[in-house]
Amino acid sequence: MAVVRPFDKLPALNSATVLLVGSDESLQQKLAEAILKEKKSFKISIHLATSLPLPSERDHLRPRIDLIAFMIDIKSKYSLKNVEASLAHVDASFFLGKVCFLVTGVGRVNYCSVQTNAVWKLGEVYCSPVLYCELELEGIRVATAQRLLRMLQICSGQIPGISALSFGSLIRNSADE
Amino acid sequence: MEPPQREPGVAAAGAEEGPVAKLDVLMLLRLREQMKQQLMECSTTVHASEESYPDHVVEEKLIKTTIEDLEREMEEVKVSFQNKTLVLHRIQLMDALRNKVKQNDDDSRLILETMKHIIMLSTAILESQQQAREMEEKLNDIKRKRLLLKQAGGNKLLQIHTTMKKQKKELASMEVGEMLEKIRNNFQKEKEMTTLIQNIFQNIIIGSRVNWAEDPSLKAVVLQLEKNVSFL
Repeated sequence: MAVVRPFDKLPALNSATVLLVGSDESLQQKLAEAILKEKKSFKISIHLATSLPLPSERDHLRPRIDLIAFMIDIKSKYSLKNVEASLAHVDASFFLGKVCFLVTGVGRVNYCSVQTNAVWKLGEVYCSPVLYCELELEGIRVATAQRLLRMLQICSGQIPGISALSFGSLIRNSADE
Repeated sequence: MEPPQREPGVAAAGAEEGPVAKLDVLMLLRLREQMKQQLMECSTTVHASEESYPDHVVEEKLIKTTIEDLEREMEEVKVSFQNKTLVLHRIQLMDALRNKVKQNDDDSRLILETMKHIIMLSTAILESQQQAREMEEKLNDIKRKRLLLKQAGGNKLLQIHTTMKKQKKELASMEVGEMLEKIRNNFQKEKEMTTLIQNIFQNIIIGSRVNWAEDPSLKAVVLQLEKNVSFL
């Protein structure tokens, strides 16, 4: 299947899956490790990818993906282009709160080559929250991992009463103010 | 990257039966809630994809109007909330002021002084505003009178104008009267001449010492002459 769909597979019991898409593999690895180190009450499965579409050979082994985090490195325009190309392979119903954009490398102001305006517009067009982080620093990495974990919990439906869509619109409304 | 596994609650084997059983039940209840949530999400997606759009444009418009209404309501709520916050601040301020004044120390005396000063200034303001209003009234009266006078003056001028016009007309019509005047003058002259000739005739007849009473024709002439023509 070329396009990732949110509800084409049944959810597994007490577990969630997050897909990290980004061009920088070492950063992805670091973030994945930070997420796994966190204390959680459910099983978590992290899939790393440099770009979509995912190879269809292993499709039947892959579980249902609850959250896609697109990692954009603010120092390289190539990562932004990569993410934009991969966005075409995501089903539209994913963008109802199950996608978030993670902008890394914001600590180094001198090396910014991607405009924050472009990233913000991306978030607006795809109605998804944009999180800024600096994964080189330990503290911020842990904090980002905790945030992603929380989002994952909500997106996989493990928190009763809050759905991914309501959470997404809550974030957007509070960001507008 | 761990492969998903079944929940570990079933595999837990503790020494005490009670807490382990409770843990199991809690775990199961939590799982039940999770599954309910996930079911709700899946069914909503299914329902959403089932909808047909026969009137796509109309629905869009409907959605837009509903969005606008909701946004307006949100704005109203925000505004009312801000107003209420302001009122709350005002009430808090008043309360703090009241408490402070009750304490009766230097600050409160200063506050009382300031308040009295404010009251004095406000009364002064009211008085001067009253005076200003009275002055304005007087000014308005004078202006009104001036307007009336102007109007009266205008009317009078109009009257003068009409009268002068009438006079001119009369003058024009009097030219006809001039002819009448001439006629009158001529008539007057003729009368005077006739009276004169009458008198002359009388004097001639009387001066000639003729007994005019005997001659009937002379008598008729003299009596005729008695008719005074000038009183015609």
